[in-house]
Order: sequence, then C-alpha cells, then structure tokens
Amino acid sequence: MDAREDIILSVENLHICFRNGEEKTEVLRGLSYQLQKGKVLAVVGESGCGKTVHALSILKLLPPGGEITAGRILYQGQDILSLSGEELRKLRGAQLAMIFQDPMTSLNPIRTIGKQLVETILAHTSCSRLRARARAVHLLKKVGIPNARQRLNEYPFQFSGGQRQRIMIAMALCLNPSVLIADEPTTALDVTIQAQILKLIKKLQRQSAMAAVFITHNLAIVADIADEVLVLYGGYCVERAEVKNLFAQPMHPYTQGLLGSLVSLKRKEEHLPAIEGYPPAPGTPEQGCPFAPRCPYAADQCRRVLPPLVEHNGHTVRCWWVEQNEISCGN
Amino acid sequence: MKYPVEIKHLHKTYQRRGAWLLGKTEEKIVLQNVTLRIGAQEIVGLVGESGCGKTTLAKVLLGLESYQSGSVQVNGLELKELSKAGFKKLRRQVQVVFQDPYSSLDPRQTMRQILCEPWDIHGLHKDKEQREKALHSLVRAVGLDPAHLDRWPHEFSGGQRQRIAIARALALEPQLLVADEPVSALDVSVQAQILNLLKDISRSRALGMLFISHDFAVARFLCDRIAVMYQGRILECAPTEQLLCNPQHPYTEALLAAVPVPDPVLQKSREPVSLKIETNRSSCPCPYAPRCRYYEAAQCARPLPQQTEGDSRFCACVRLPFQKEKSRYAV
Repeated sequence: MDAREDIILSVENLHICFRNGEEKTEVLRGLSYQLQKGKVLAVVGESGCGKTVHALSILKLLPPGGEITAGRILYQGQDILSLSGEELRKLRGAQLAMIFQDPMTSLNPIRTIGKQLVETILAHTSCSRLRARARAVHLLKKVGIPNARQRLNEYPFQFSGGQRQRIMIAMALCLNPSVLIADEPTTALDVTIQAQILKLIKKLQRQSAMAAVFITHNLAIVADIADEVLVLYGGYCVERAEVKNLFAQPMHPYTQGLLGSLVSLKRKEEHLPAIEGYPPAPGTPEQGCPFAPRCPYAADQCRRVLPPLVEHNGHTVRCWWVEQNEISCGN
Repeated sequence: MKYPVEIKHLHKTYQRRGAWLLGKTEEKIVLQNVTLRIGAQEIVGLVGESGCGKTTLAKVLLGLESYQSGSVQVNGLELKELSKAGFKKLRRQVQVVFQDPYSSLDPRQTMRQILCEPWDIHGLHKDKEQREKALHSLVRAVGLDPAHLDRWPHEFSGGQRQRIAIARALALEPQLLVADEPVSALDVSVQAQILNLLKDISRSRALGMLFISHDFAVARFLCDRIAVMYQGRILECAPTEQLLCNPQHPYTEALLAAVPVPDPVLQKSREPVSLKIETNRSSCPCPYAPRCRYYEAAQCARPLPQQTEGDSRFCACVRLPFQKEKSRYAV
C-alpha cells in the first residue's frame, strides 16, 4: 500500500506568532507531521506549549493577533492557507470538523440546539429540513442524549456540562468529516462519560475511516485512542512515535518525565518522580533546547544549541543525548 | 478514640422557588444521611462524579453552607450552634485549598499580602521581625522563593499559584485541610509536584485532610481512606487499598473501570461500562439502582443498610455480601 496516497492532512514547518503592537511572541516554532486516513494522532503537551493554537490554525481560526508566519497546511494536497473564505467555508464542518475545548461557550445560548445542529447540516447538504432534523435526532441519540427528539427544542443552558460537550461532539460529527480535530474534548467530563465518548469516537473512526488530531494533556486518553503521539514542549516537537513505542520506551527526557510523574492506579507510591520546575511561558526567547532548564541530563551544549529532530529506533526525537545514545532508553 | 471531624446523618436540601405566586417551592436533596469522620492526621478522600455533592459537603464542613438536620462537629463543636466569634476560631482549625488557583487568589494583592492577611485577621505574628521570619519559613515550606514575596499572582504559573494557595491555608496552622480538587486544573508534570507537597506537608505538620477528587489514581496516592459519593449519599467507604483492590459497591466498580490507564496495550483491551439508565427502577431505595448491572427487583427493594459507628468498611448495597462474577475491573 502506498502510504503517500493515504495522507489526508499534512502540516509542514508551521510557525505561529502572536503580535501585540511591536511585540512578537512565537508560540509554535516549526511543527511538521502527516496524518493518514483512519489514524489518530495525539498531540500532547502542557499549557502554553502551542497545542491549541496549532489546532485552530488548521481551520484557519486563529484569534486576532495570531498569525502563521511560515509553513503550509495541506488537506488532501490542497493548501488550506491559500483558500478563499468561500472555499474554506465548504471545507469547515463538512470535511474538517473541530470539537472545541469549552462546551460552555461554544454553543449559541439563544438558539435551540436543534436549530444549531440543523443549520450545520443544511449549510453543507441540499437535503430537506425534515431530513436534517431526523439526522440531528439520530446523532444526539448516538452520543447518548436521552429523549433526543424532545430535547432538540431545548436551549444549551438546559443541558449539563457533559451533555453540552456531547452536543458539540454530535455537531462536529454530523457530516461525517474526514478529519476531526478535537481540542481536549473530554477534559471537563467525568471518567464515566469520558469513557463513553472515547468509545463513540473510536467507533466512528473505524466505520468511516475518519482521521483525528486529538489534543490532550491526559496520557491515559492517549493510550486509549491514539495511533501516533506527538509531544510538544515550548512550541517545539520534542518527540514523535507510535503509541506503543512511546509508552514502552520514551526517549526524550521530557516524555520520560511526563510518563514518570503519572499517578498510577495500580500501585501505591510513596513519592512521585515529578519534573522539577515549571513549563516555559509562551514565547520565552529560547536558546538551545527548550527543556534544558528542567532537564536532569542538560549539559552546556543543550543550553546553547537547539538539537535537531532525528530518527532513532522508530522515534523522532529532539535531544542531543539520544543521538549519542547517552540516555538509557525507557524506564 | 477521638475524631476531630464527626459528620453524622447529615441532610441538606436546596430550595428552588417555583414560578411567581403560583409555583410551589421545590426541594432538591443534595446531601442525604452522610456519615463520615476524619481522624487526627488522617487523609480521607471523597470521590464521585460532578454534581454528586462533594463540594457541598466541603462547604458545610467549612461553615460556608448551612444544613437542615444531622450533626457536623469539629473538635466537639457543633457547627450549627457556632457564633460569629466561634466561626472565626473554627477558621484556625479548618482551612481550604480550592480547585482553580487562577480565581482563588486576589489579583490585586501581592503574595506577601495574601499570606499576611490571615495573620492580620487573627492577630498573629504582630512583631515585624517575627512575622518576616514566619513568612519566610512558610514560603519555603511550600517550595517557593522568599525573594518573590512582593510579586503579584499573575507573575506566577499555575503550579506556583497553587503553592501560594496552600501556603495561605497553612498560615494559621490548621489541623484540617479541605482540598477541593487541588490538582485537577494543573498540568500533569506540575500535578505530581503539588501532590508530593501535599503529602509531605500532611506528614510534617500532622495535618488531617478531606481530599476531594474525581480521580481515583490521585486519591490512591494521597488518601488513607476513600469515600465514594453518588447523588448526595456515601455508597462506599473503606481504607484505600481495600476499596481499590476489592470494590464492593457496583458503583465503585463501575467508576474504577472507567478510569483510563496509561498503557496502550492494556487500555485498548478494556471494555467501558454501560451508562444506560433504566427509568423503571426509580422507585428503588438505592440511588444507583437505575444504572446498576447487578440489579434484582426483589432484592433491591429492601431498605439500604445504615452506616454504624466504628465500621471500618461500609457499603450501601443491600445485596452484600453477594458474589460478583470475578471482577473484570478490580485493579
């Protein structure tokens, strides 16, 4: 099978800046990846590492002040950044759908959820209002909202947080998009509902070969849903690998630290091996490796020169020491 | 044995006013027959889904909410009977750390002002030199730098802010700390730091804690005992290891099963629990019956077992001891 043909989304050397008057803050510094049909890529990182900004840029939805300074985003070979407003509108929702982080503010509070769902469907298809309504009911049932038909006429405030999140998910999935971008879709939810929603997304992905970019900081969710994982730190990709390899043999010291600092349900620990220090503020002028100030292995070279991304044992890693085989792989 | 905190048969309802003139006042039960005690230096975890009443119980314990019946005693003092001066004294015994360090610190106070306010109110450390000394040792105890005392909250990261919030709670040297989801708003790597800090502090300062969380893994790391709450009732309460390794209540079992594990191989083989609600079971005394997978009409119509004093392990299921099929979910 030719893997090239299967590539549905590809991001090349993406740089994103935020401008505040004369001040420029670079939040994403050269991100590249390719996503294949039916695969799930998880983007992992801490707050301020650029993961949400990158997701918004795929739909060209960067907030005011945000600007893509370099790079390309290709959807089925077509450069999204060069599309006109009309062409973009056709793509958004129908082909590229997004689940936003905050369900409380992403729904229109003064329109019924039925109207909002039907509007999405009618904007992209030529079916009748009645059919669109039937489809909306079907989707709400699918995401586990009881009495879907009656509840279509209710307003967002009449739903709980978890239900609103599920409505957002239904809205994102209503036109069978080929790429789903999910920005922390389950952070606000209880574990029980979270498990249900992940199951739904997995099912859709199997049925319709939907690809997904899953943005999260919860590594347990990554283990559940992802095929490939990309770890972001301070605006740089520091490690990329298949999910099994990443969990079995994390190579970048940051990834190792992240996995190490997880609280386990399996064993009782006396002390957690936390990563010392705090993540860098966005746009911190960097010299050298962004993780160096917190890294236990940091040497002089790390503080001076940014390591390149290198292939190593099936991982793509940005660390000087991995190349020199100095860090013992794994735990 | 004397328990610093004794909560017995606590009932609390919220009243919702109906429509103007015509509507009847509706009562919503938020806490029902809650019995819980916290020993000296004991860390008790309170776990449950959102909206189950965890935070309300914490507020009652802090004297921020009233209650209808039952008793809540802190060091033998009944909270209902406390005068205003009595509450002021209570604050020196019970302190709180909130979930979101971005909204729980006054943005117009420096760290020094935030930490000195409790001392001003209670008239402690009046001597300037002595206060400075106490301030420094307090700040160091939570892992912050005394040189940053005159900084404003916005200059700190989320993890550092939560440290300030913990320092503020410790300023009065309380015996009991109520921690309401203190790490759920933090990044994974910082979460581990704060959990370690809470554990160290509880040991070094002989602190009891009511630790509210929806995350079993976090609760396991920190807690001596865990109580599981559902719709305002405690369904199961047991020493941590017993609860996790051998959950007795079907709800505890379902919650544990829904926690994703950070292991791609294991996680992908797990089957999430159904959340289907059978509405025809709502007359049953057990609040969990509509979702219970072990439901049996004849058995579950019996009244629920009552929690008696001195039980080390309590489970509000009428079918106990019942033979579960060997649990697929136990950790």
